[in-house]
Amino acid sequence: MTFPYKGYAGHYADIDLTKGKVHKREMDKEWARLYLGGTGVAAKILWESTGPDTDPLSPENVLVLGTGPLTGVMFSPSGRMMFAAKGPLTGVWAESHAGGFFGPEVKYAGFDFVIFRGRALKPVYLLLRDGEAELLDASDLWGRETNVVTDMMREEHKDPDLKTAIIGPAAENGVLYSCITVDIYRAAGRAGLGTVMGSKNVKGIAATGSLGLEAHDMDKYLEANDSEMEKLNDPLWTDSLGSLRNYGTTDLVAVINEIGRLPTKNHWTGFYDDADDIGPEIIAENYRVGQEACHGCAIGCKYIYRVKEGRFAYGPAGGPEYESLMAFGSNCLNNDIESIFHMGTRCDQLGMDTISCGKSIGFAMELWEKGIITEKDTDGLDLSWGNVDSMVELVERIAKREGFGNVLSKGVRKAAEIIGGDAWRYAVHVKGLEASGQDPRAHQSVGLTYATNVRGADHLRSLSSLEELGYPDIVEKRFGKEKTEAILDIMSPKHKGEVVKDIEDLYALVDSAVICKYGTMWPPVFYFDTFENVIAPLTGMQEWSNLKFVKQAAERISHLRRAYNHRLGVTRKEENLPIRLKEEPMPTGPSKGGLPDIDEMLDEYYDFRGCDRETGFPKKSKLVEVDLEYVAKDLAKRNMLAKE
Amino acid sequence: MGTTYRVKLKHDEGPRNRKENPRGLKNILSINAGVCTGCRNCELACSVAHTKSFNPARSMIRILKDEAQCLIMPMVCLQCDEPLCKAACPTEAIIDNEKGILYVNEDECIGCMNCVTACIYGGIEIDPLTMRASKCDLCGGDPACVKACDYGAIKIIGATTEGFRQRGQGIQMLTQVYDHESQEAQQ
Repeated sequence: MTFPYKGYAGHYADIDLTKGKVHKREMDKEWARLYLGGTGVAAKILWESTGPDTDPLSPENVLVLGTGPLTGVMFSPSGRMMFAAKGPLTGVWAESHAGGFFGPEVKYAGFDFVIFRGRALKPVYLLLRDGEAELLDASDLWGRETNVVTDMMREEHKDPDLKTAIIGPAAENGVLYSCITVDIYRAAGRAGLGTVMGSKNVKGIAATGSLGLEAHDMDKYLEANDSEMEKLNDPLWTDSLGSLRNYGTTDLVAVINEIGRLPTKNHWTGFYDDADDIGPEIIAENYRVGQEACHGCAIGCKYIYRVKEGRFAYGPAGGPEYESLMAFGSNCLNNDIESIFHMGTRCDQLGMDTISCGKSIGFAMELWEKGIITEKDTDGLDLSWGNVDSMVELVERIAKREGFGNVLSKGVRKAAEIIGGDAWRYAVHVKGLEASGQDPRAHQSVGLTYATNVRGADHLRSLSSLEELGYPDIVEKRFGKEKTEAILDIMSPKHKGEVVKDIEDLYALVDSAVICKYGTMWPPVFYFDTFENVIAPLTGMQEWSNLKFVKQAAERISHLRRAYNHRLGVTRKEENLPIRLKEEPMPTGPSKGGLPDIDEMLDEYYDFRGCDRETGFPKKSKLVEVDLEYVAKDLAKRNMLAKE
Repeated sequence: MGTTYRVKLKHDEGPRNRKENPRGLKNILSINAGVCTGCRNCELACSVAHTKSFNPARSMIRILKDEAQCLIMPMVCLQCDEPLCKAACPTEAIIDNEKGILYVNEDECIGCMNCVTACIYGGIEIDPLTMRASKCDLCGGDPACVKACDYGAIKIIGATTEGFRQRGQGIQMLTQVYDHESQEAQQ
């Protein structure tokens, strides 16, 4: 039967790299209906094809490229796509998203998903063009940096509009947190999906196409779309959007430092004295030369920087976001903004996650301070806080896995094991993923977000801005009047389990649609009703106009990803916080003394999620309720179901 | 894109070379390249309006991007007084409608691409699906791209001397970068 739903390209490419065969297949109707797209469909594919015995860097691992029904169909902000696989850095579920223009172009080229299996005998890249998928020789591209490869591909195909997702030398060398760089200066950064692509001998993907996407009911869809945009254009959000347009995410350096949540000195504290030096004003005044937006996006948070002179002179190029400013800046006590631009851009070109890279360097700097490592360990590099020369050099050595760079290329968890002694105390990670730019000691629910995030310590699966920025009306509407006060108290653990579960489900849809967190995370405009409004007229999947069905789909995706991790051995023990964020009270700044009540929040989260408090395992009845009988069956065999 | 482009026009060619308005055109599109973020929502809106699908490749307004230099260049038909595309068409498929808007009569077009070669502004293209020429028809007077631009970069303005001057100013940023001066900008 022909794939009946609109909004999708309608096909996916299933690629056997070992045999060099590309199979173009029609999209699976049930994938769309039950899992929507993006992370949902990727979870279904990876559940079926990988498991506890899969070595993440072996040919047996499967790399999924995913788009969603809202990718490239004028819903703002929806210029996004994602990758997923079993993660090499963490050993658990790994997914990472990127903006730009590549995601929509994959769909215009005729594909919703690409599945990479096996390992190519020699370097290849995938060309998606007008309904055709072709593996091409990448021998002359191998070893080159991402921007150069994009130029070479455009030249080769005589197509300056070719959109690309490329790995750099870091991924080829096996740095465990290698990214996939998209459209030159955007990246699917986290969790080492570039490393997986590199292990498969795939240099990248290029897409170009002129196949259009249709809507089931165009007029109704555009009307629904307009009504959602109306919400975003409410005067209430004028300032928020204005800030995003003028400063992008750099504004967060100032906003977050003000509440004492800006990771500083390897997450030792949440307040950085020199935050102004790496903050929004100085960037806007001295370095910002332009504003950009992802495909069809009305928010336009991307900025272009240029350093005119000096040793870091470069640009114009895509500017580092908040997380990079934090990782190479406050986190390393480095207030040299030009060096941060440099390291951010080098990471894009070498193909490394700026967060994990910066966090690994910050971790090493603290070990240096504590005397756990010395010049003998670092090949002569002085790793004093804020030593720019050493940081810049270390970024290059990590990418090459040279000397001490090789130790840090494995991420802080494995580096701490190699270094030994007390080093583990300073490794700030969850499930092996270095913590991003938040701190639960200044924002309770972040602790729960870090602990329960299926890919490890970061904010993008369930961060709540509701209490951080204080939106009483929205909190009351979503959770009821009686809970509002406690929820708005950023340092109260009360009801945070319910809030994080709710937002995790919401983001599961965002990541399946696939749209940006802006508009949902902040400003918190889009909610479950957004999907109820737009998906059915776009796709023709009528069930999606039923709010109950929408919410159930969200829970289904959340549970499937959790179950994927359970099968790999993740239990409540792993859904925890590193010792620094759990036991060391915030030492300085506006949040001084803060500590998260992680156990209390976890208990409540498991209750709302339909899981067992002791193990975190799901109840069979919950899985059956969300159409995951096959998951319940599998987990039952492994004794991984909650007692009921 | 390191090359410097210098475009020299003959006396009677180009988008605006006479004081009077020979075709009775009322309005033109004016794009402020300085505030364009390159989001390409205009392309989506154009493709929806003309093809009932989301397909930037079939849009009549195009955003050219060069990420390596972070350059964004919006391209759209300028509704020239003396249209090079029209002069180059062997089948007279490029004609004015009653409002003076230059459009392509698809029934007459044979897809020879003469017009694409002739237009030095990149204002006309071959539609990848129909393989016929395709250019901006101002949506009959109420352009979809104007409504779709959340950054206010595209406006529909009067086809007056002031309007043409405003349009010229809108691309000043690009003319500086590329050392290209159109006659409009000179005026």
